Amino acid sequence: MDRQALQERLLRIVGPDGIIDDPDELLVYEYDASDEVFAGHHRPDITVLPRTADQVQEIVKLANEFGVPVTPRGAGTGLAGAALAVRGGILVVMTRMNRVLEINERDGYAIVEPGVINLELSQLTQPRGYFFAPDPSSQRACTIGGNVANNSGGPHCLKYGVTSNHILGLEVVLPNGERIWTGGPAPESPGIDLTGVLVGSEGTLGIVTKVMVRLTRLPEAVNVLLAAFADLESASQATSAIIASGILPAALEMMDHLTIKAVEAAFHAGYPEDAGAVLLIELDGLAEIVAESADRVVELCRGCGATEVRVARTPRERELLWLGRKSAFGAMGRLAPNYYLVDTTVPRTKLPPTMRTVEELSREYRLRIANVFHAGDGNLHPLVLFDRFVPGEIERVLRCTTDILQYCVDVGGTLSGEHGIGLEKRDYMTLIFTTEDLCAMAGLKRSFDPRELFNPDKVFPSGFSCGEVNAIRQQAMAKRLGIEFV
Amino acid sequence: MSDRAVLQQALDRIATLGARQEPAAYEVDGLTPQLVVAPDSPAALQEILSLANEAGLATVPWGGGTQMGLGNLPRAFDLAIDLRKLNAIVQYEPDDLTVAVQAGCTLGELGAKLGAHGQMLPVDFPTADRTTIGGLVATGLSGPRRYGYGALRDLLIGITFALPSGQLSRGGGMVVKNVSGYDMMRLHYGALGSLGVIVQLNFKVIPKPRAERTVVAAYRRLSDAAEAALQVRFSQLAPTAIVLLDALSAQGVGLEMPGWVVSLRCEGPATAVQRQADRISEVVRPAADRVEVLEGHESERLWTEVGGSIGAGRLGRAIRVRIGQTPSELPRLAEEIDRARTGLVVELSRLLDIGSGLCYATLAAERDEDLQLAWQRLSGLGLHATLLTAPPGVKVDTDVFGRQPAGLAVMRALKETFDPNRILNPGRFIGRL
Ligand SMILES: Cc1cc2nc3c(=O)[nH]c(=O)nc-3n(C[C@H](O)[C@H](O)[C@H](O)COP(=O)(O)OP(=O)(O)OC[C@H]3O[C@@H](n4cnc5c(N)ncnc54)[C@H](O)[C@@H]3O)c2cc1C
Repeated sequence: MDRQALQERLLRIVGPDGIIDDPDELLVYEYDASDEVFAGHHRPDITVLPRTADQVQEIVKLANEFGVPVTPRGAGTGLAGAALAVRGGILVVMTRMNRVLEINERDGYAIVEPGVINLELSQLTQPRGYFFAPDPSSQRACTIGGNVANNSGGPHCLKYGVTSNHILGLEVVLPNGERIWTGGPAPESPGIDLTGVLVGSEGTLGIVTKVMVRLTRLPEAVNVLLAAFADLESASQATSAIIASGILPAALEMMDHLTIKAVEAAFHAGYPEDAGAVLLIELDGLAEIVAESADRVVELCRGCGATEVRVARTPRERELLWLGRKSAFGAMGRLAPNYYLVDTTVPRTKLPPTMRTVEELSREYRLRIANVFHAGDGNLHPLVLFDRFVPGEIERVLRCTTDILQYCVDVGGTLSGEHGIGLEKRDYMTLIFTTEDLCAMAGLKRSFDPRELFNPDKVFPSGFSCGEVNAIRQQAMAKRLGIEFV
Repeated sequence: MSDRAVLQQALDRIATLGARQEPAAYEVDGLTPQLVVAPDSPAALQEILSLANEAGLATVPWGGGTQMGLGNLPRAFDLAIDLRKLNAIVQYEPDDLTVAVQAGCTLGELGAKLGAHGQMLPVDFPTADRTTIGGLVATGLSGPRRYGYGALRDLLIGITFALPSGQLSRGGGMVVKNVSGYDMMRLHYGALGSLGVIVQLNFKVIPKPRAERTVVAAYRRLSDAAEAALQVRFSQLAPTAIVLLDALSAQGVGLEMPGWVVSLRCEGPATAVQRQADRISEVVRPAADRVEVLEGHESERLWTEVGGSIGAGRLGRAIRVRIGQTPSELPRLAEEIDRARTGLVVELSRLLDIGSGLCYATLAAERDEDLQLAWQRLSGLGLHATLLTAPPGVKVDTDVFGRQPAGLAVMRALKETFDPNRILNPGRFIGRL
């Protein structure tokens, strides 16, 4: 690749302030929020920050001309290394495309550029009685484009659904440089649901340049409860009991003793420090339903051995309880220099044995594990704490997390509930998917990106290439012809 | 061997791989297949598909046959694969609120099983005893309850499908939150079986509400009715479905009321439902001629009938068009539709799904030409329009999926990848894929 020529052409597209040259500034783009120990750091050849969809389109066309990889990036809060330019090429940072273009309350949607920060959209629409439901704990920093790419979740996704359920349409620059709109404000656009396919595709199928999101009406009543338990297992049982009872809380989050301690030390959120685990339960909706459900939830928690159930009485109390939860990852710095975050989902009835297993593995590998997670969805986040400079620790962390993943898969769970596969979990894909499964996904990828320029080395296991689809076809053919396929 | 001989040989072999059925019952827009076979295992289905693929047989996956009005005229039709023997409920975990079911299982069967545990899939069709789950997902039909619960698409958590190559692939899983790999569920939802044959679907299910009521209010003028419906939609009240019916449409679902009728469904715990129905009644009453509240079975029956008037089943001498438009613009659309039939001898009924932003217009006429012209005019309205069902004569020289979407090139590429020999529903999907 003629880097000089590419840079000059890019300069013409985005202007001098649209290209980052300064080595110090460039450094941040070698990382995302995944731990460097596992994802490494990767230097893009060129980092650009477009301001318009036209510029993005020109950039992609240029990448095609030069045959260089393109990696889209939002705020870089992703935990799977998906925004890293593993093969160099052009890193397209979308944070300057951060305008809210339209808010339509009457029909309940907004059109935003992908660089808009998640929380800012809800803050903007809340005074009008609406919010954007997906609320990742990173919502103060992450972009809507990143949410779309990762199909991100958050505490309130238990009731309201993940990002995919809130995206009505997308403007996207496809790998061939074409720019199209998919979907729209009315459902059931004819044809294949490209919007649905693009959400969660981790920037491997195109760059999103506009997002049409559903806005959700703020509920009439909200009630937040905090239930304390002696241990994780009884809190897990309470979770299962609430879900099985047919009540659908807006959020149902769990924190273990270690997390509670860390959060209390950092934020004084008012959690009971002696508890083995707490559940943070939010109920919302019509006043009558919320009141009835709250009584039932208290009953169920007590039935599972809750030592205390507290109700947040004021908006301030509510906020404080949530602040503790939303800042939990940040508080981990107090416990250890590094953590590795596992993001599996298990069937909800499997939570109690899974939490038991995590505790056992923590003992077995002599690693402290903090748990703070979306219990209502069965989406766990064991945070394995470590210090990368202690010899042998990294290897133990890897063995421990692999065991956790394997256990979760064995009980019917999956690799990632909301953070994505990216670079970091791609080699685990074969734990849950067969070659046939992956080949179909590769077929999807190839239909969008035949030259494999977009966000290479992500999602698919290393060494896997779309060519395997053909191999499989040959294999099937050979089988029928009775030929041994080598 | 001649082409014909190859074809015949493939059909002969395929015929041994499942129960043979009578082709006459498997008509698609006037064509019947040479062979109908009903495999009783995914393995047999795989084998059938790979043989059909090699021989290039035009193949139609067949569910309950209740939504066969949808689709362009088939280019050819050699083989129907009846999936109703693949009808097992593979795994049901009531306490996890998840179920895995084979494509040929009917909505009725699944509903009964879920109902016994106080759970449900929130779709209502009068043909539930024949409509298969696979067919529902392939046609992408969801009723007005999508407003409260999401469309079936939003409840899909896993899929298994067979490709023409014979390959069996899965996406998703059995957990309610999952971002591992691409969303293969949404790839197949509404793709009319043109990219693969759906073998199994995994859903998260919904706790069945303990009670339900429907507020029904009649208005002389569309504008008053629409304003009432939109006001509820705009409020913090939480009905699970909001529709607006013109008089003919209301009659069709058993509501004898003149003018325009607004129906709002409330579901949940008994006392809450009662309170909500009262509150909604207050909101919609001022301009209404009449307000009624239907309870329990009566309410349920109404919505099943509504489901019947938005489906894609054959209608005889009538067409049904689904038009997407933002909720606040739907009333204007309803008027445009009325104007569009000027000079045509057609009878029109309209149902507006105000909750979701869809309008269903059903037009009946004696002559194909009138229906054709009506579709031609309607196809340009709203944000998108689909001819859900029509007599074959009306489908000539048109794309029933309406205007070409911007993404058609990608859709073509997907078709090319997954079905390179174009054996699955050839010609029937968007852009004649
Ligand atoms: C403390 C902390 C807490 C978190 N909590 C949660 C949580 O509760 N739930 C959750 O789901 N996640 C959570 N995350 C993960 C992360 O914040 C989300 O995945 C987020 O959506 C990523 O957004 P981003 O803008 O930072 O994207 P990035 O990390 O920059 O990129 C993520 C992916 O999106 C792609 N991408 C970005 N923009 C575009 C675009 N415009 N077009 C196409 N592709 C694009 C990238 O290529 C990459 O694959 C957390 C992370 C941290 C650090």
